[in-house]
Amino acid sequence: MNGLLLTTQQALQLLFTGDPELWSIVLLSFSVSLKAILLTTPFAFLVSFALSHGKFPGIRIILAIFNSLLSVPTVVIGLFLYVLLTRQGPFGDLRLLFTQTAMIIGQMILCFPTLVALGYAAIQAADRRVWETARTLGAPPWFSMLTVFFEVRFALLAAVLTGFGRIISEIGISMMIGGNIMGYTRNITTAIAMETSKGEFAQGIALGLVLLLLSFLLTALLSYLQGHKEFAA
Amino acid sequence: MNEPLLVFREIEKSFSGSQILCGVDLSLYPGKCILLSGKNGVGKTILLKIIAGLEIPDLAKIEISGKTNSWEKAVRSVRKEIIYLHQHPIMFSSTVESNVAYGLRFASLNRKQRRESVDEALEWAGLTDVAKKQAKTLSGGVQQRVAFTRAWILKPKVLLLDEPMANMDHESREQTYQLLVRMKSAGMSLVITSHFMQYFEGIVDQHFQLKNGALELKSKS
Ligand SMILES: Nc1ncnc2c1ncn2[C@@H]1O[C@H](COP(=O)(O)OP(=O)(O)OP(=O)(O)O)[C@@H](O)[C@H]1O
Ligand SMILES: [Mg+2]
Repeated sequence: MNGLLLTTQQALQLLFTGDPELWSIVLLSFSVSLKAILLTTPFAFLVSFALSHGKFPGIRIILAIFNSLLSVPTVVIGLFLYVLLTRQGPFGDLRLLFTQTAMIIGQMILCFPTLVALGYAAIQAADRRVWETARTLGAPPWFSMLTVFFEVRFALLAAVLTGFGRIISEIGISMMIGGNIMGYTRNITTAIAMETSKGEFAQGIALGLVLLLLSFLLTALLSYLQGHKEFAA
Repeated sequence: MNEPLLVFREIEKSFSGSQILCGVDLSLYPGKCILLSGKNGVGKTILLKIIAGLEIPDLAKIEISGKTNSWEKAVRSVRKEIIYLHQHPIMFSSTVESNVAYGLRFASLNRKQRRESVDEALEWAGLTDVAKKQAKTLSGGVQQRVAFTRAWILKPKVLLLDEPMANMDHESREQTYQLLVRMKSAGMSLVITSHFMQYFEGIVDQHFQLKNGALELKSKS
C-alpha cells in the first residue's frame, strides 16, 4: 500500500515537473494520432456521403462490411501490416516497418471504418431536403455536400472525437509495427506496457493518468455535442 | 400564348416496378401560372423534382426554343433556371439573412451588389426585422417566406412550388398570395401543386390534374 502511494506520488511529480521524457512520449502519441485522424477524416466522410446520398448498387453490402470492420482487433491490423511491411513482405522495400509512418498508416486503417460508419449515421440523419435545397439554389455538388456537412457538424465532430479516442488509446498496432523505439515510435500505450513489465510503475501511472484525463475530456465533449445534435435536428 | 420557355415531353418515372409517371407533357410559359392537382401519392412532387433536375426520370425530353434535347443533355442548363420549393422548406442553420444570400454566392456578383440584393429581397418579403435571427427558430409561416425569398433573389425563370400554403393561417396565406402575384408579374413561370384550388384563384392560368400517370387539362383561362 505504501509502495503504491509512493509510486503515485512519483507519477504526479513526473507529470507536474514537466519530465522531458514523459512529455515527449505524450507529444509523440498526439502527433501520430492527430496526423492519422486528420488524414483519414476527409476521405472517410466523402465515403460516408457517397453511401448516404449516392445511388449505386451494393450500398447495403458496403455498409455491412464497414460495420463489421468496426470491431476488428488492433493486433490483427498490426499483424496484417507487419506481414505487408516486413523486409520480406510485398512492401518491404519501402522500409516502413518500425516507423512513425507505419504507425500513422495503421491508425488510419483503424479509425477509417469508425469514421465512415459514424459519419454515415450523422449524414443520414441530415434531412434530404438540405441537399435538394442547396442543389436547386444553384450550389454545385461539392458545395452542397459541404452544406450538408455543416448541418450535421456536431455529429461529424463527435465521430472524429470517437475515432481519435480509439486510435490514441490503441496498443496493438503501435506495438507491432511501431516497435516502441524511444524518442521515435514509443507512444503512451507502448510506454505504459513496457515500463510496467519492467516493474517501473511511476511513469506508467503518470502516462495512464494522461490517457484517462484525455478520455474523460473526450467523453465530456461528446456529451456536450450530443446536446447540440438534438438542437440541430 | 406566346413562345414557351421550356417544354417537357414524355416524362416517365417508376419506382420498383410501379409506374408513377407515364408520358407527362408540360409547357412552361413566362409570366404564367400552372396549378397541378391530384390525389395523394399520385406523383406531383416527383414530377416537380424531375422538372427541377433533382430526381432522375426514366425517360424525358426537353424542348428549348424549338429544339428537342434529351433530358440528360439539357438538365444542366435547365437546372440553373428552375428552383423547386419544398412543401415544408428546410432552413440552413444560420441567420435569415444568410439563408437568403445562400444562392447568390454562385452568381457573379461582388460583395456590395450581393449586400444590396439581400437587403432589397428582405425588404421585398417583409423580413428585414428578422434578418439577424436564426432561421430555424422562426415559425413555419415565416420560414416559408424565407424559402420564397432565397429563391426569388436568384430571379429564376421557373419556380416550382409544392403545396406552398399547406398549414398556413389565413394571414400567412394572404401574404404568400401577394408574393406569388408579384413573382408572376415579374415574368416568372410558376407551377404550383395543391389540393386547394380556391387559394390560387386569380393567378392560375392553367389547371391540370395528374391522374394515372398523365396530365389532364381541367381548365384554362
Ligand atoms: N424515393 C422513392 N422510392 C420509392 N417510391 C417513391 C419514392 N419517392 C416517391 N415514391 C412514390 O411515388 C409516388 C408519388 O409520390 P409523390 O410524393 O410524388 O406524390 P404526391 O402526388 O406529391 O403526393 P402528396 O399529395 O401526398 O404530396 C408515391 O406513391 C411514393 O410512394
Ligand atoms: Mg407531394
